[in-house]
Amino acid sequence: MTVGTLAGLDNRIVVAGRVTTWRDLPEPALPSPAAVLTAGPAEALAAARHHAAYGTELLLTSAARMDRAMRDELRAAGFTVTGPGSDAEPAVRSRPAEPGRLWLLTSGSTGRPKRVGHTLESLTTVRGVQPARTWLCPYASGTYAWWQVVTLSLTQPGQHLVVVDADELDDWPALAAAHGVDAASGTPTFWRRTLHRDPAALARVPLRQLTLGGEPVDQAVLDRLREVFPAARISWIYASSEVGASIVVHDGRAGFPVGWLDRRLPGRPTLSVDGEELVIISPHHGAGLDGPVRTGDRVQVVDGRVLITGRLDSDEINVGGSKVSAGLVRGVLAAHPRLAWARVSGRRAPLLGRMVVAEVVPTASDDAPDEAELVRWCADRLPEHAVPRRIRLLPEIPVKETLKSDV
Amino acid sequence: MNELSRAHIRDLMSQVLANQGRVLPDDDAADLREIGFRSLDFSELALRVEDATGEELNFDAPGLRRIATVGDVLDFLESLQRQ
Repeated sequence: MTVGTLAGLDNRIVVAGRVTTWRDLPEPALPSPAAVLTAGPAEALAAARHHAAYGTELLLTSAARMDRAMRDELRAAGFTVTGPGSDAEPAVRSRPAEPGRLWLLTSGSTGRPKRVGHTLESLTTVRGVQPARTWLCPYASGTYAWWQVVTLSLTQPGQHLVVVDADELDDWPALAAAHGVDAASGTPTFWRRTLHRDPAALARVPLRQLTLGGEPVDQAVLDRLREVFPAARISWIYASSEVGASIVVHDGRAGFPVGWLDRRLPGRPTLSVDGEELVIISPHHGAGLDGPVRTGDRVQVVDGRVLITGRLDSDEINVGGSKVSAGLVRGVLAAHPRLAWARVSGRRAPLLGRMVVAEVVPTASDDAPDEAELVRWCADRLPEHAVPRRIRLLPEIPVKETLKSDV
Repeated sequence: MNELSRAHIRDLMSQVLANQGRVLPDDDAADLREIGFRSLDFSELALRVEDATGEELNFDAPGLRRIATVGDVLDFLESLQRQ
């Protein structure tokens, strides 16, 4: 893919309070290979545009995600590291650039971030003609979800972009309404925080497309968004740096139909389950990841739907020999009408090994359900050993730069 | 270690049962089976004691063999704090 084939260059971009276009973004001088650590979204877009124009080898990420050791690793791997407010740090060893290569970092939720190789081509997963939209992009620069929105805008005419900086996240509905945003993509945590903080402001954004991804999606958050936007298309996407966007569900329900498992269709990902782990063969995979990829995500089939409940190494809680899915318990708590968010985990406990515990954020602090009420709510819907026994109230939904809260 | 009094442990035990819609009898001789105080409840009580003292408790099933009454639970957790 070259800049000449990028049909979205004249799309409108709102970034750092300024309205511009892809074509009019400033031209940075970047070496190749380069690891660009950005301080803000404007620089990140300019670097993406530069890559699209010249096919330089690029790793793009926010400066906050990169510690000293990771910078040194990249320099040892042949990257010149450029960061905000400092001189470029040259590569420790010189090597030829790999033309067209884009590097993404995994989220690092289960260890240090790893590099996954892509190209602009492999990151561009939306190819059919789309209705004109103005997209909100709240994601951290250089993440898979960020590239999804960016490639859509770069390659499709009429796909405009409003980029939200991290310090604008709490007030994004006002910014979005002012710029006519009608499509937004975010994690379930992002949507829950917005529903919790200011649902009236959210309702003023004229959204026609809402997308959720990056974390397990439960029915409660889909239903609450549906209440606010009864006519919008609400989709959830399963995507990762390794396998790309592999599952897209538009029916407003959590999980995907069990009939999608082991289905082989040309050009489409093949989904399967090994034990309790989701395994995907994806045409949108990163370099070297063709063939079955073990995702590390745990699934359970409930009422004909395959629910992705969480990470394999943290979702299962063994309570005295009985298995509990933290994701399913979280779904029960999240469905409580006076809770805005829940996190469920196992806590070491004498006698049983582990017990189920939870942290929750009430919808309104002056009308918070007490622990006994929440225990009863869960006891009516879960087996006894799965009922959280210690439930802590938090004042605010925690969120990380990735827009996730590691639920 | 911030050691809890017997009365404080009794309050915590009462909370455990209240969350299950049950009431802790005043009588220390009350039988645990009759009031429905089981291993899940015992573990929860231990977590509540840990949270109140900031100290981790360690015990296992064999240590609980002779525990049959409310008073036995209170005795056990009192003595465990002193170990």
